[in-house]
Order: sequence, then C-alpha cells, then structure tokens
Amino acid sequence: MITVESVGKQFAGREVLRDLSFTVADGRITALLGANGAGKTTCLRIVTGLLRADCGRVQLGGVDVAKQPLAARRQLGVVGDREGLYERLTVAEYLSLFARMQGLAGADLERALRSVREQLELDDLWRRRTRGFSQGERMKVSLARALVHRPRHLILDEPTRGLDVLAARLLRRTLLRLRDRGTSILFSSHVMPEVAELSDRVLVMAGGRIVGDGSPEALIQRTGCANLEDSFVALAYGGATGKQVAEVSA
Amino acid sequence: MIGRFFTPQMSALLRKELLEAWRDRRALWMAIGFSLLFPVLLAGSTIFLVKKHTEEITRLALLGGDRVPLLAQRLRGDNLEVEVLSEREPRELIADGYDLVLQLAEGFVEDYESFRAPRVYLYVDSSSAAAGRAERHLQERLGALQQLVVSQRLTARGVTPQLLAPWRLQVRDVSTPSSRGAMVLAMVPGLLILTLFVASLATSVDTSAGERERLSLETLLLQPLPGWQLIAAKTLAVASMGWLGALLAIAALVALMPVMPLAELGIQQATTLSGVVTMGLLLLPLALLVAVVQILLALRSQSFKDAQTQLSILQLAPVTLLMALDMSRMELSRPFWQLVPLVGQQQWLKALLVGDPVALPLVLAGSLVCLLLVALCVALGARALRRESLLNAE
Repeated sequence: MITVESVGKQFAGREVLRDLSFTVADGRITALLGANGAGKTTCLRIVTGLLRADCGRVQLGGVDVAKQPLAARRQLGVVGDREGLYERLTVAEYLSLFARMQGLAGADLERALRSVREQLELDDLWRRRTRGFSQGERMKVSLARALVHRPRHLILDEPTRGLDVLAARLLRRTLLRLRDRGTSILFSSHVMPEVAELSDRVLVMAGGRIVGDGSPEALIQRTGCANLEDSFVALAYGGATGKQVAEVSA
Repeated sequence: MIGRFFTPQMSALLRKELLEAWRDRRALWMAIGFSLLFPVLLAGSTIFLVKKHTEEITRLALLGGDRVPLLAQRLRGDNLEVEVLSEREPRELIADGYDLVLQLAEGFVEDYESFRAPRVYLYVDSSSAAAGRAERHLQERLGALQQLVVSQRLTARGVTPQLLAPWRLQVRDVSTPSSRGAMVLAMVPGLLILTLFVASLATSVDTSAGERERLSLETLLLQPLPGWQLIAAKTLAVASMGWLGALLAIAALVALMPVMPLAELGIQQATTLSGVVTMGLLLLPLALLVAVVQILLALRSQSFKDAQTQLSILQLAPVTLLMALDMSRMELSRPFWQLVPLVGQQQWLKALLVGDPVALPLVLAGSLVCLLLVALCVALGARALRRESLLNAE
C-alpha cells in the first residue's frame, strides 16, 4: 500500500502541494488526474523519493520513503514522463544491469529477464541498442525496466503519451495483469477513456489538493455529469457546484 | 572494505557506466587523438629544430670576391655556401634566394694590404625568418678569420698575439644529460596532466550533464544505491578514459624517443620501463581527482553546453597553474609541494622522464592526499545528487 499523509511542498515560495493525503491500495489501479500545473508530477516524485516533502510523510508498504529511501526503492517500479534510455546499451544489457542494481542475480535474474521479455513482447528489440527507438518501443523498454524486479508498487507518469494503439493496448494489458497479481499502481494521465477503463479509483488534483476521490462511476454520479471528462472538468476547473465538490471531497 | 564498495549492485552500476563511456566513439576518439597528438608534435618539433640548427645551409653571395679568392675559400664551410659574383644589385640577389650578400668595397685589396681596414658591406633581409641565423653564422666565420689575420700580423711584427688578449675565456658546461633532458622535456609533465583533463572531458559531461539532459539520471536515482556509489562509479568510468589517454601519451612519447634527436642535444634517453610503469601508476589518483572534479562541475552547470564550456575553461587551469609556479621560481622540489595535487605529479614526472629517482614515501603521501580529496569530492557529489534543481523541479 502507498500512503501519502498531509504532504506539502513549495518551490521558491509557491505552494505546489497542500496537505495532500491519500492511499493507494494493493491490487488496485489508482489514477491521478489533474490539469497541467496541478501538482501531479511533483506528487509522484515525492512518492518515489526523488523530491523531499516540506511536511507530511509518504510510506511504501510501511517503509518511510524519506527515512529509508533504499528500502523503499527496492519495492518500487517507476516509469517517468519522457524518461531517457541508455542509447549505447542493448535492451538485454539495459534490463540486465538494472535488474542487477535491484539485487537480482543468477537464476532469479535469468527468470526475471525471460519474464519481461515475454510479457512485453521484446523479442525483436532484445539485441538492439535503444538509439532510434520509437516512443512505443521506448515505453516498452522503460516498463520492462520498472517491472523486472517485480516491484510491489508501480508508479507511472503519463505512460500512454505518444503511444500508438498497439503499444497502449499492451500497456493496459500489462497493468491489468499486475493489478491481478496484487501490485498497487498509481499513474497520472490526461486520457479520460483510458482512465475510465483502467482505474479502480480516480484522484482529481487541482491547486495542489485532492478535489475529487472515488471510482470513475462514483465521480460521474456525484458530479451529475454525463462522463468522466465532464466530471473532471467540473471538479478541477470549478464547473461543479459547491455542494457537489463538498460531497466528492468528503 | 572492498567488499562493501564493490557490492553486486555497485558492480552492475560500474559496468553500465563503463559500457556507456567506452562505447561513446566521440569521447574515445577525442581521448586517443589528443593523447597521440602531443607526443607526435613534440617529437616532430624537436626533430625539426635540430635539423634546422644542424643541417640548414646559408647561401652567401660574395660581390667582388674574385679579387680576394682566399677570402671566399676561408669562408666556405659545412653549412655555408659561398658564390663569388661580379657586380650585381644586392637586393636582387636576396630576392633570388641568397640569405646574405657580402660586398667588398672598391679598393678593398689595396686598403687591406696597406692596413687601412677596408669596408665590407653585409646585406641582409631582417624580415626573413632565416636571416638572423644566417647572419650569426657568417659573423662567426668572419670573426674567426679576423682573429687569424690579427694574429698573423702581430706575429709577423714580433708581437705575441697574447698581448692583445688579457685572458682566454673557456666555457665549460656543467649540465648533465638528465638536467639538459629536464629542460627540453620540461613541458611534458604539464602536457600529460592536460591529457588527463582533455581525455576525460567528453565522458564526464556525458555522464553527468548529459544524463540529466537526456532524463536518464532520474531512473538511476530511483535505484536502491546510495548517492556516493553513483558518483564513485561515474568517477571510475570517467577516470578510466582520462587515464587511458595519459597512458597512451606516455607510451607514444617513449616510443618516439628513439627517433627524436636527443643525442644531438646532448641528452641521454633515460626513461626506463619501470619509470614508465611508475608514471602510469602515479597518474591514477590524479585521474580520479580530475574525473570527480569534472563531474561535480558538470552537475552544477545549467545545461550540457554550459558544462562543456565550464570544463573547457577548467582544462586550461592546471597548465596555467603549473607554468605560473615554474615561473615564480618557487622551490617546488620541497616535500610540502609534493603533497599538493598536480604539483606533486608534475615533479615526479619530471624526475622519472630523465631517469632520476623519486622518493617513494613522498609519492605515497602525495597520492594519499589526492585520494582523500577524491573521497571528499565523492561525498560532495552524493550531496549534489540530492539537490532538487538537478531534476529541474524548481
């Protein structure tokens, strides 16, 4: 389980996150929705330990991210927004090295590499260096790197950005399989149909706070809108009535 | 201790850094290119200078020389060609390729025979690069001839020539082959140290500012490895490139020494195999220090280009510093200076290049100081990795 408790963060005196609290349950997919500048990436970076919160606490499976960063990183897989690969390494080398950095060796390492190679359909890319890969191929390699050590928690920042249909479908299939295996998944996205299809729960962020929290159906019902996109607009941009916002925030 | 450092995770990280560094063809060619360039230039310039000094011929046109054939005969020598010509314009002769034109005045023979010191005109083009050398060459020959004539005249009159020479100066060179070698090879230690900086520059920028710009640094920071291990692995990879450059330069220099005209300069080649190995080993701590300092600076820079600019300026610093210290005439061979990174290595390299011994305790102490500074910089680097500005978060 991922627990975020009363987290606040400022950059140069500007408040980016305010008293942010939520949990992400094991075996559930939670989407973080928000307009640009709502604080999603900062929130995810604090959860992964890349940034320090000014106040509050983040725990991954009971491990405090700020106090035991190495222990937290061992149970975490992260796919960043537009992250870079090492273009002089082949996919096999890249995944093998990151698996070793996560402490895998011997038969466990071989098994883990075989598993991600099959799951993410990497056969054609396996011996190629990553220079010149398409966005979809890059995403597959990044996802494989994040999953190779079978983390208990998976964080993805805008994972479907720039993906073609096949790559997006493969990603969705993978996330659903991981959910069934008990992995807690937190991802940010702008793509509403994808959020509606994948998420067990949606957190809507605006102005550094959670302004909506519930399943996609619950949010639609509570805002009285026709679909998740309208519900998001109502919550994030203030289109909803005060009563509706108070209800979903409760 | 080593087990704590080289954990399997650290080994994987180091392998990643080494693969990245050594597969970067641009960085590799830059390291190899500069490392081979300076020994080749040094050897080439030495050969050229000696050849110029010993083999270049001075062409002299002697106008009016047909009246004094003995003069032309006496002036001719190994590197002085004398051509006796009848009346011509001296400027034309110089334009035709003569280095000098010596014109004897009208009535030279009569004046000479009656001891009236006839005039002799020397035409020279001082804007020509060869003019100074040619003039010196001729003056030496004329001076010796003049001395001979004076002696003969005095002797003919019963005067001992020694009367005109109250003393005889004899120059005795007390330099040793190794001290002459030190003078000629003085710039080599500075260039070897510069090689460390140049050879590791591209790799250090790529592994720090480059990783940040390519957004792969975040992925690395998310691995369960302490920050000091990240910096240490990067330092080792960068230092491997710099050290390779320095080793290559030493090997090239030693390989080229037999073709360099050291004997003509009175220098004995004294660099031994053990000296070469020692030079390589004592540059290793400095390679690590250079690498980690470059990484620290690159991590502080705003962008890849900014890092390149800063490090390009930094690479001039060691040579400038060493030149300034040399010119200040400080006693750099004192033990204190050998504990100072760069200066210590410069002094040891100077000694080893000419076959002089180096004090092992001082080498060990100086290298230890260097390694302590490396450890301090690694700790600073680990702190730098925690800076939020590194992730462009602010």
